[in-house]
Amino acid sequence: MARRPKLPAELDVELANLPEDLRWRTFMGRIEAILFAAPAPVTREALARVIGRGCSLDALIADLRAELRGRPYDLVAVAGGLALRTKTTFAEAIRAATGQGDPRRDLSRAESLVLAAIAYYQPITRGELARFFGQEVSRDTIGHLRALAFIASGPRSPQPGAPYTYVTTKTFLAHFGFDTLRDLPDIEALEDAGLLNKDKLLAGDFPPSFMAEPEDGSLPDEGNDPREEPPRDDR
Amino acid sequence: MHALPPLPLPSSDVPVLPPWLARQKPAGSAAEAAFAAGAALQALDGLVRTAPAWAGAWRQRLALKSAAAAARRLGRPEGQSELRDATHLRLRGEALGPGGEICEAFARLARRPPGLDERELQEIVALLGLRWRTEFAALPGALAGLDKTSEPPPFAAAALAARVVAPEAEVLAFWLAELGLARALRWPFAVPLLTAQMLGPAFRPNETSRLRPGSPGFERALCGALVASVGPALSLAREIAAHAARLAAAAPKIRVRGAGEVIALLLNEDAVVGTLRTPTLTRWATRRLFQRLVEFGAVREFSGRAAFKLYGI
Repeated sequence: MARRPKLPAELDVELANLPEDLRWRTFMGRIEAILFAAPAPVTREALARVIGRGCSLDALIADLRAELRGRPYDLVAVAGGLALRTKTTFAEAIRAATGQGDPRRDLSRAESLVLAAIAYYQPITRGELARFFGQEVSRDTIGHLRALAFIASGPRSPQPGAPYTYVTTKTFLAHFGFDTLRDLPDIEALEDAGLLNKDKLLAGDFPPSFMAEPEDGSLPDEGNDPREEPPRDDR
Repeated sequence: MHALPPLPLPSSDVPVLPPWLARQKPAGSAAEAAFAAGAALQALDGLVRTAPAWAGAWRQRLALKSAAAAARRLGRPEGQSELRDATHLRLRGEALGPGGEICEAFARLARRPPGLDERELQEIVALLGLRWRTEFAALPGALAGLDKTSEPPPFAAAALAARVVAPEAEVLAFWLAELGLARALRWPFAVPLLTAQMLGPAFRPNETSRLRPGSPGFERALCGALVASVGPALSLAREIAAHAARLAAAAPKIRVRGAGEVIALLLNEDAVVGTLRTPTLTRWATRRLFQRLVEFGAVREFSGRAAFKLYGI
């Protein structure tokens, strides 16, 4: 079959000489080990490459998850792949012991607002972001988000100068624990309120219920990051 | 030098819907709906099998329509022209963005024979921005199983769509139904017909509800959707055939090296960027070529903009 790329010769994928249950356990072990070692979510396709031809990856994953039930971490689907993640109840303990995690990924309030705007209104240009916030969005902000691989360039916008639009990446989904963009907080509510339409929003066409709120109160915060909650209206 | 494409099917040879079909009541009985769908598919069948030179452009245009309906269902704000922009105004290697990815999923549907393996399905699920589910793994097999089915094609397609039970994956169900329909009809390519109707009146028995794959009455609604979409698909084919004929007539008159490549693209794609660069053509040469083709009435410009123009037949 063409869709199975060649493997290094030494990996025995079929394990035909093992008894059935041992073979199954080995496959489970392989998958857990790969996910444990991988720095990023692993696609199902990659995992399917190390298990026997007739084996169901989904059954293996279900067994693994059943086994992990009592453990402090779980096997979850993020960004279109699979990854091991610690359970949220342990977040505080992890933070207390190791500080705040990856300091490079600390976002300022402005950066997380820009990131949220890109996530909800992508593809969107820097100029449109500026109109959105009523002030220039600095290249540094965009540059930092780009360096963290949270955003990437999308199609060019058909305006003078052909500016790039920005779109979010798989890394963004994986970092914030979303599997797809539909998992963004409150996306359904925004949609129902007609607030997901970039053009409408930029034209100042707010639904009346949102006009009562001052400034850009319609923009939700990332919601996922406990560090990002200074009191609002501090100006 | 590219050989000139064979003379395309003239637009007068594109079949028309039988006139009694237009008088068909949309809310007829199940038997009436099935009979009408059969007649509509028969009108389309010959055209799809002849596979005229412009069939690629026709299918891609239909795919774009489907993508627009799918995008709406998935909560994306993009309409047809925004989706077209997202697909064509991207530099190689840059991200498509969520709208462009939906468009890509339907472009792929219309580009290849109606077969599927699990890896391709996974890519489609990712392009549609959906979450992979365990039960999806059985879908490629179910699609291949349609080769042996004795069910009428629209019912086979409805049954395949009903296998996608997750309500948020409704777009995927329709995507598969398109593929299943083509497979059951033994068509060489999938022709997107159903998805564009998914939010339309065919699937709305009354004002408040909408029929989803698997719900009772879905088969009948799917037949109605087929009847509703075949008429516009045939008139689109006539339009494209007329442009293709003018393109074929203009081709010998434009003595431009590398024009054959552009013409082949026009016949196979929904649109071509006005600044296309090929090994033989600079972007300025392409621009002049398109200007002349517009003068001959062979291509039209879709965007209506002064720059970033998109041409197609």
